[in-house]
Amino acid sequence: MTGISEQEFVRTCVRLTGFTEYDLYGTGMAGLFLGTARDQVGEDRFAVFWAALKKALDDPQGLKTLTPTHLEAARALTYLWYTGAWPRLAPAAHAELRRQQANTEFMAAPAAYTEGLVWRTFHGHPAGAKAPGFGTWAAKPPDVPATGEAQEEQAEEPAGAYRVGMEEPVALDEVPHDLLPAFRASRDIAPSEVPTARAPEADGAAQQQKEVRA
Amino acid sequence: MNGTAAAWDADRRRYDAIIVGAGWSGSLIAERLGAKGWQVLVLEAGNGGDETWEGHLDAVRTFHSAVAKVPNSPYRRNTAAPSPDVLDLAPVRDPEPGKPEFTANGYLVQQGALPYGTDYLRALGGTGMHWLGAVPRMHADDFGTDTDYGYGRDWPIGAEDLQRHYAEAERAMGVAGDADEQRKLGVVTDPDYVYPMHGIPQSHIDDYCQKRVGGHEIHDEVAGETYTINITGLPQARNSTPDPRYAGGAGYRPKGAVGLANYGERCVGNASCVPICPVQARSTPLRIQAGFSGSVTVATRSVVTRVLRGRGAYVRGVEYRTYGDPATPVSRSYTAEADVVVLAAHAIENARLLLFSELANGSDQVGRNLMDHPTMVAWGLTAEADGNIGPFRGPGHTSGWEEFRFGDARGTRAPFRIEIGNWGWGWANGAPMSNVATALGVGGDAAGEVRDKGIFGPELRRFLGSTIGRQLQLQCAVEQAADPENRVTIDPRKHRDAMGNPRPVIAYDLDEHTRKGVYAAYLVAGRIFAEMGAQNRTDFRPVGGLPPLGHFVYPTDDSVDGEVHLAYHGAGHGAGTHVMGADRSTSVVDSHQRTHDHPNLYAVGCGSMPSIGTSNPTVTMAALALRSAERIHQDLAELHGAVLPRPRTQKTEVPA
Ligand SMILES: Cc1cc2nc3c(=O)[nH]c(=O)nc-3n(C[C@H](O)[C@H](O)[C@H](O)COP(=O)(O)OP(=O)(O)OC[C@H]3O[C@@H](n4cnc5c(N)ncnc54)[C@H](O)[C@@H]3O)c2cc1C
Ligand code: SF4
Repeated sequence: MTGISEQEFVRTCVRLTGFTEYDLYGTGMAGLFLGTARDQVGEDRFAVFWAALKKALDDPQGLKTLTPTHLEAARALTYLWYTGAWPRLAPAAHAELRRQQANTEFMAAPAAYTEGLVWRTFHGHPAGAKAPGFGTWAAKPPDVPATGEAQEEQAEEPAGAYRVGMEEPVALDEVPHDLLPAFRASRDIAPSEVPTARAPEADGAAQQQKEVRA
Repeated sequence: MNGTAAAWDADRRRYDAIIVGAGWSGSLIAERLGAKGWQVLVLEAGNGGDETWEGHLDAVRTFHSAVAKVPNSPYRRNTAAPSPDVLDLAPVRDPEPGKPEFTANGYLVQQGALPYGTDYLRALGGTGMHWLGAVPRMHADDFGTDTDYGYGRDWPIGAEDLQRHYAEAERAMGVAGDADEQRKLGVVTDPDYVYPMHGIPQSHIDDYCQKRVGGHEIHDEVAGETYTINITGLPQARNSTPDPRYAGGAGYRPKGAVGLANYGERCVGNASCVPICPVQARSTPLRIQAGFSGSVTVATRSVVTRVLRGRGAYVRGVEYRTYGDPATPVSRSYTAEADVVVLAAHAIENARLLLFSELANGSDQVGRNLMDHPTMVAWGLTAEADGNIGPFRGPGHTSGWEEFRFGDARGTRAPFRIEIGNWGWGWANGAPMSNVATALGVGGDAAGEVRDKGIFGPELRRFLGSTIGRQLQLQCAVEQAADPENRVTIDPRKHRDAMGNPRPVIAYDLDEHTRKGVYAAYLVAGRIFAEMGAQNRTDFRPVGGLPPLGHFVYPTDDSVDGEVHLAYHGAGHGAGTHVMGADRSTSVVDSHQRTHDHPNLYAVGCGSMPSIGTSNPTVTMAALALRSAERIHQDLAELHGAVLPRPRTQKTEVPA
């Protein structure tokens, strides 16, 4: 084992996931996820990645400073916490890491699925587990935490450290298409293989043409 | 149940009735005949296992670890009795114009223009092991579309003939519903009827939709009509609070899990009814099997290969093969004989068996008229200001908009039922997991390079909370009319499964009336989103040259491009392959599902339906099965010179 303690692993993952140390320990998955990520990235490469990740998180520019391959590894690790599955990597990153494994999404363990953090972001529960009880679906769900709330738990972080390829925070009332999934072309496409949605047809332009025709 | 029998015990024995298939239809008929004391042999092609609690838990675990949580994911592959799987289909990148845009690499051989995107399950309990349990009755208008609206085929019976059997089916399956609402729709006609259980509570999403657009007018451009929409609760085969008024005040005791006493008597909101309800609050045919009398024998891993001809027009029995290990199907052949043979193997399998046995096809309709409910899934994001609407909670859908099912618009475009989805964009996009992937930017771009855009940490958490918490998906199930060219055939020289049985060969397409219905539903869903202040995100255009399964381009006259990209999913509602009718020259079975050509051969299931109507078909299929059971009982009684056998003691409780 290289010298990454579970505690160090969790503390760093707090910053990647936006969930607290308490939340992450509470999943009971920290050991499994550390092992899974290390296996997937490769023991030596993982150590290099880990050092780069910690450095980036302390840099005012944040994760933007990572190499593309390390950025992809950071995404995969975050995906693992959120869903319980190790995703398919961008083929370019897969190649650079010279991974032995097949580049396909897989569930780390059945319990990893039920502990996925994604369900908590909207106060849900994993489909098929942790049933909340008869009729609970009729109740109004709690509102999702505002940014401030989630960030408060995180001490002072440099603004924008968690964004790559964007200057401004995402506008939630005008969600950019390329952060949302497209229609899944077939059921054998794993979630991490679903492409981003296409840009909407330019409504304005279409409207203009229509008027011209009329 | 009496446990399952070894196949050789049944070999060369004679029964009163042989039933092929232990899904909903086969189980219901077996239970009825068994209760009358008839000796019944049920031959089931698939494996058992889920009738024990251990076996069930194993299936739940298999489901949890599956990446693709498709309907068949909790069940092991079985090469001896293969099932079609939605994973068998793949789209073709940059397809040649005019060529199919998909390939099929599974059990079904697909040769049609469009994919038949529906699966079924060959295991004890059949497709009812992974169904959703939506059980609205058909509407009177659904039975005579040819006469009334000029499309499809008429039934030889009407809704009135089925009311009594519907009520029986709802008791047997254990249905929760609001009879008043269904009376208002006109599908329940008995003024005193109540369902065994009170309706499943409607979701917060239903409530939100009603608050936002209840009573609003929605224009259907294609039909040229405007509808005032209000939500209607969905009757479901799912345990809810028993209604003390049921059966004239006798009440109803919910039936829970099979193999574990006093469990699963309420739905607890696991939100995974398809493919598996962990507590078994969603009904399965195993419940019916648990009540089989001592005169019913079930043999699993017994694949019926053909029906055997007897004297004259009669059939004698069946030939079947059994196997030990589903992975290496070394099998042995047996025969069993009976006075009546009932095919209850699913619409596609029934057709396959009849074709291979060269029986019941005087009309040339066996295998034809294959139908489904092509389902157009629209998705949108509700207004940010409205906050979290609570997706991924509760049963798959608890309410719908029924208005587009009825009226003269049916003559113009196929009618459709809009299900208000409770599970976010799950079906359309693979949410919520795919949301995590696209927000992070993992997986690479079209060229395989690492994406340059994405978010992490608190921003990710906030973004996902908002964009998943506001997901609304509308599933529009469009009625597909019977078309003789949509069909199941066999080609034993070319296409056989590992055991040597011919595989079903499918030709499938959507006709203009149905496509028009899909288009109308697409526009209507868009209008509903707009009316509620939601952003419509529905988009079926190919991405990176890859058209989605079920994709077709529909010509329009008013859009700028003159066309729109549409797509549909299969609904799992295979029907029409041994169509019912009064005229033996144009139909396969009569209104009792008895084949016109063979007095003691029945073919039951959705395959008998001349139209698939505007509601999920299984409760109608169950009502038909119970109606047939009465008829078969009469047949047997007549055959035995009206000397009825003494009923055996009937087990009603499941031993713990
Ligand atoms: C994902 C999904 C969701 C659905 N949800 C709903 C819903 O919400 N509401 C609704 O009304 N309907 C729904 N349906 C449809 C419903 O499941 C079917 O209509 C119903 O289960 C069919 O019952 P059946 O008994 O006719 O056939 P099946 O359930 O398919 O049973 C046939 C049985 O016969 C056996 N068999 C097949 N071939 C042979 C052979 N050669 N020898 C011996 N045995 C054989 C099979 O193993 C199987 O056990 C859904 C379907 C799917 C796929
Ligand atoms: S919501 Fe859950 S508990 Fe209820 S029927 Fe569906 S899976 Fe079962």
